[in-house]
Amino acid sequence: MDGLISFANSVASILTSWSAVDVVWATLLGIIVGMLPGLTATLGVALLTTLTFKMEADQAILILVCMYVGAIYGGSRSAILLNIPGTPANAATALDGFPLARSGKAGSAMAIATTGSVFGGLIGMMALAVIAPVLAEFALSFGAFEFFWLAVFGVLISGQLTSLDDPIKGWIAGFLGLFIATIGQEGIYAVPRFSYGSTDLSGGIGLLPAMVGAFGLAEILTVMRHEAYEAVRAKSDSVWSGIRDAYKYKFTAIRSGLIGTLMGLIPGVGEDMGSWASYAAARQSSKNKEEFGKGSVEGLLAAESGNNAAVPGALIPVLTLAVPGSAPAAVLLAAMIIHGIRPGPLIMIESPGFVYSVVAMVFLATIAMGVLGLLLTRPLVMVLKVTRERLMPIIFVLCTVGAFAIASRTFDVWVMLFFGVFGFILRELKYPMAPLILGIVLGDILDKSLRRGLVLSDGELIQFFNRPISMVLWISALLFILLTMPSIRNLLGRLFKQKTEGGIQ
Amino acid sequence: MSQPAMNKADFISSIVLTLFGIGIVVESLRLPRLENLNVNSYTVPGIVPGFLGLFLTIAGLAILVRSIRRGGWKLSLNKDGVRRWLGSAMVMRTAVTVVITMGYAILLFPNVPFWIATPIFIFVFVVATEAMKYGGLPSRMKLLTALVLAIIAGLVINYVFQDLFFVRLPGG
Repeated sequence: MDGLISFANSVASILTSWSAVDVVWATLLGIIVGMLPGLTATLGVALLTTLTFKMEADQAILILVCMYVGAIYGGSRSAILLNIPGTPANAATALDGFPLARSGKAGSAMAIATTGSVFGGLIGMMALAVIAPVLAEFALSFGAFEFFWLAVFGVLISGQLTSLDDPIKGWIAGFLGLFIATIGQEGIYAVPRFSYGSTDLSGGIGLLPAMVGAFGLAEILTVMRHEAYEAVRAKSDSVWSGIRDAYKYKFTAIRSGLIGTLMGLIPGVGEDMGSWASYAAARQSSKNKEEFGKGSVEGLLAAESGNNAAVPGALIPVLTLAVPGSAPAAVLLAAMIIHGIRPGPLIMIESPGFVYSVVAMVFLATIAMGVLGLLLTRPLVMVLKVTRERLMPIIFVLCTVGAFAIASRTFDVWVMLFFGVFGFILRELKYPMAPLILGIVLGDILDKSLRRGLVLSDGELIQFFNRPISMVLWISALLFILLTMPSIRNLLGRLFKQKTEGGIQ
Repeated sequence: MSQPAMNKADFISSIVLTLFGIGIVVESLRLPRLENLNVNSYTVPGIVPGFLGLFLTIAGLAILVRSIRRGGWKLSLNKDGVRRWLGSAMVMRTAVTVVITMGYAILLFPNVPFWIATPIFIFVFVVATEAMKYGGLPSRMKLLTALVLAIIAGLVINYVFQDLFFVRLPGG
């Protein structure tokens, strides 16, 4: 009940102040950022963090949450109209959204995507309100051993799920991120590591410049490398018929919302997997499987419900464990720390109202997204007429100034450039970016937890394995690794086959 | 990237990764162990990066072995092939983008006033990439709109960061 009152108070205080204007412009900006191929939610949140760091904490976080929610939804527009996902989270949206647009139902497709995103966002928001306080209380029992395994589990699972074809590359990206986090003064004895006398390197690699590079410059290079895109010239029908179509599949939207939230909850997995997993589940249980990929309303609805539900889902571990559920959530975590908020297990004790404020921010951003998305269907299409040749240099200027603005250090611009080129090469070699960023965030936790754990156990490694929560985490991590090994999968396949054949006989 | 090309790329990148992993292990062993401070040996600063380096070495070797099995070691480089690749539109677009963006961030941004450096960069970027797109210098109209865009964008970004958000920009 206290939570509901805090939530209502937060909603009322935002709506009765200038913050309501922030909700509208930040969500609209998020939709535009998401729509433009080459601009991701991560980059949008990172650039806005650099612009808002002198604002009051609540106002800055509100703007960033609105940008995050808007951008994940905005990506559906270019997925539907251009067959190019605006953000990686909208890749599954293109499968059915583009065929619908090509058949003259672009308006319906955009309305279905909007309805799905609102549904998913609201389901995720409810999960955030219910799960975050419980998880925060549970996390109070976490010690060095549990946090060590949480970091390992996060990197492994994120590496696995963001690089399904080649998990080893996902793990390498994650471990590279963990290594990058060890550069600079370490947190126990203040010994500089891998800094070779450079005072800039002694301070460590900043997460924000690294992210602006990995998601900004790397994306610019990727976009410019490929051929220019052409806007769809399909006829557009009414958006209202799309809402009616979406309502027919309300149970698909609810299931996708729950799956998306769960995917968001898992460290470093986020919206992309939320969308794909929801899409796969919808296809599995659909009566019209053959329509998937050819313009299925159910498929489009599932993909969009899944990715927007993952946004509040990804905020749950941010608030309760200080572990990001996705790459944009990692920036949001960094922004919270910049503004003096300490996410983690103590959040419900130190600032219980903040969790419900975030729930209110997600709620208002989701409503704004739905209203703006439906009302501005046609004007927003104009945004897609901006050519990449004219958009990308402006984005690069924002990346450069954004990286510099955080600490007024030219070194951060070098960091941005390095991570941009390095991230571009890694992407071309099919190494995912999300585990790399998660590794940078979790590196400090892993470093301190392993060393503290070893001191507490006096070097007895068994203590890392025999505590109940640790046990769940390391067994899950181990199972994940084993299940990706082709030899183990073949063995299991043979075993199940024999069992089935035995059963039939 | 096709699978054979990816195998070759994996072969080269895994060698780099393995060497990098070994380098991390060696450098971690060279980090101070703080014996003079009588610190617990389990908390020495090199322990975590050492383990990470070990993992990266093993993972690099795993990809190396896999790429060799898939024939990635047969790089079969020849002058014509390399020349064709370097001259392809994709590589040219990437190279031009890298050169112009690096030129701005490394040379112009720290040394030239922002309101001058930024319009120059935007104009050069637009003209160079549109010239590649249309196969020649863009029309006068396109050049004029690029110039207007460059000046407006430069002034607006300068105003937003310097005057609204009080970020002191470098370059004078």
